[in-house]
Amino acid sequence: MIIATIRKELHLLARDRAAVFRLLVLPLAFIALFGSVFNSAETGAKRARPIAIWYGAAPLGTPIAAALDGSGVFATVRLGSADEVRARVAAEQLDVGLVIPDDFDPGAGRPAELVIDQGAPLQIRGPVEGAVAAIVDHVLSGGGARPPAVVAKSPPGIRQPLAGISAFQLSVPGNAVLFGFFIALICALSFDEERRTGTWRRLLAAPVPRWKLLIAKLVPYVAVSVMQLGILFGFGAAVFGMKVGGSIPALVVLCVAVACAATSLGLLIASLSATQKQISSLGSFVVLVMGLLGGCMVPRAIMPHLIQTIGLAVPHGWALDGFYTLLVRDGAGFVDVAPQIAAVFGFAIVFAAIGVRRFRFER
Amino acid sequence: MSATPVLALRDLGKRYGERVAVDGVDLVVERGEIVGLLGPNGAGKTTTISMACGVITPDRGTVHIAGHDLATDPYAAKRAIGLVPQDLALYEELTARQNLRFFGELFGFTGARLAARIDAVLAIAGLADRANEPARAFSGGMKRRLNLAIALVHEPTLLVLDEPTVGVDPQSRRHIFDAIRALRDAGLTVLYTSHYMEEVEELCDRVAIMDGGKVVASGTLRELATAHGADGLEVELAGEAAVLALAIEAALALGGTQVGERLHFDARTAWAPVFGALEATGATVAYVGSRRADLETMFLALTGKALRD
Repeated sequence: MIIATIRKELHLLARDRAAVFRLLVLPLAFIALFGSVFNSAETGAKRARPIAIWYGAAPLGTPIAAALDGSGVFATVRLGSADEVRARVAAEQLDVGLVIPDDFDPGAGRPAELVIDQGAPLQIRGPVEGAVAAIVDHVLSGGGARPPAVVAKSPPGIRQPLAGISAFQLSVPGNAVLFGFFIALICALSFDEERRTGTWRRLLAAPVPRWKLLIAKLVPYVAVSVMQLGILFGFGAAVFGMKVGGSIPALVVLCVAVACAATSLGLLIASLSATQKQISSLGSFVVLVMGLLGGCMVPRAIMPHLIQTIGLAVPHGWALDGFYTLLVRDGAGFVDVAPQIAAVFGFAIVFAAIGVRRFRFER
Repeated sequence: MSATPVLALRDLGKRYGERVAVDGVDLVVERGEIVGLLGPNGAGKTTTISMACGVITPDRGTVHIAGHDLATDPYAAKRAIGLVPQDLALYEELTARQNLRFFGELFGFTGARLAARIDAVLAIAGLADRANEPARAFSGGMKRRLNLAIALVHEPTLLVLDEPTVGVDPQSRRHIFDAIRALRDAGLTVLYTSHYMEEVEELCDRVAIMDGGKVVASGTLRELATAHGADGLEVELAGEAAVLALAIEAALALGGTQVGERLHFDARTAWAPVFGALEATGATVAYVGSRRADLETMFLALTGKALRD
């Protein structure tokens, strides 16, 4: 009976072009778009960022320009005047400029001028300001080769990241989880469709226990959701070069947990809504807000601390933490993502418990 | 007739909050009968058959189907019933054959047995040559026929049809009627709900009339006509409005009922006092005619309202 229902639901879903678009086409488009945008930004950073520079007769001008070029981070573009540097940055022809006055002497209160739009996001201007200041300080302190004063290291207990990871390590799981939860909306709408057409009455009249009816109705959506996540991650790996640093079986189990949570959320939405309109509006709101809080659209790492904490009140936050660990960290396995897998399954159980309690078979 | 009725409803009741939808319904359907459940919209017909099919849980009473108690032996009871809901309860994106296959499998049919049943009910529904087309491509009448075929695929003992001809063209309606009669001749028992009295008159061996959640009368058409005196006389009056109002008041006081512009009287009414009283008001009797005992008049006599109210 469950196999018959799975076959029937798969037939119906395959013919539902809107569902196929929502579950596969849209997320693939988002993955391609976001991944390409952030990937080109990273590649661009590696290619060295152009920086306009003017230094007139300042004695340290030439060594500072050489140090900037030698850093590999910047590529200087020497201009004819300080005003030209400011004009080129104002016209957004270059992102950043450096003006070194003839009487450049920071100790005497005559610093160089970093020309940059101070309205730009801190995430963009912060690293540029820091890098330029560090290079100029290095020249002022006499230059030459010296051991680095600060070296970055991951704390003990955290696995090392893979080498050569791309922005698709973020955009694939982010969009997979965001659009993976759209199965909740499709599942909830299918309950409404059964009620509206009267097929639900036929199902209730069949010699099948009601609990079995509910399970048979939900299982196909779990299966479809797992397939959807598999296609998105597979596509990410095959087409966009996304790497999986951790355990594939753990990745599959986390996908199953996400599919269970999304499907049981669908049951909950169906049980709380009386009409198709209510399902559409409540479902879209819940899925999008959960996605936003959980870090599917903007990584939780760059959110304020409070919002980061709130993000763990939705399954998306836990799921993404788990996926990042498995994709980015070399050798990550079940032990590393056990809390995330348990949390996502926990959400599935809570959604299902409330959904079953509120569900009205005889409405 | 068999000693065990195919369907036996005893004191069946259902309440939604303060509203009583079904109030102590008793109904017995014997093997091979076509029984009509007649009543206006809101009479409780659909709730009654929903309880009979296990779709809705009754608040009180019992349902026995082919000898199986629906409460204690639900799966055996449900296997004996084929429900044709009022809505077109089918999957439009699936073909006729896929729909039949799915619902057949729900009732435990598989393999060659299921394939044979699918072919048989496709033939009954006249859809054999369209079996592999999606239901959405069908006309309204064809969908109604598929709706019927789905209820038959698991070979039920009792077929329950809830207003099966709503929105159906005359050709498909005729096809459905012929199919029901053929099924009855093959031994199937049928419970048919409708608010179209002519359908029930044409098709049913017995009728149960529902109103306000209760069965107010049941029996053959002849039994109902005899018991409820629905044969009678109808009278049309002429005169000034004030005079007519007086005459109608007098008629109602003497047991008449007003139906549109005419007054209906029971066949057992003593006529002389009636005509005496009407003429005493100053009204003129413009028309007098006999009235056949049809379901409309019986329903009116039993409930005081027209069937399509």
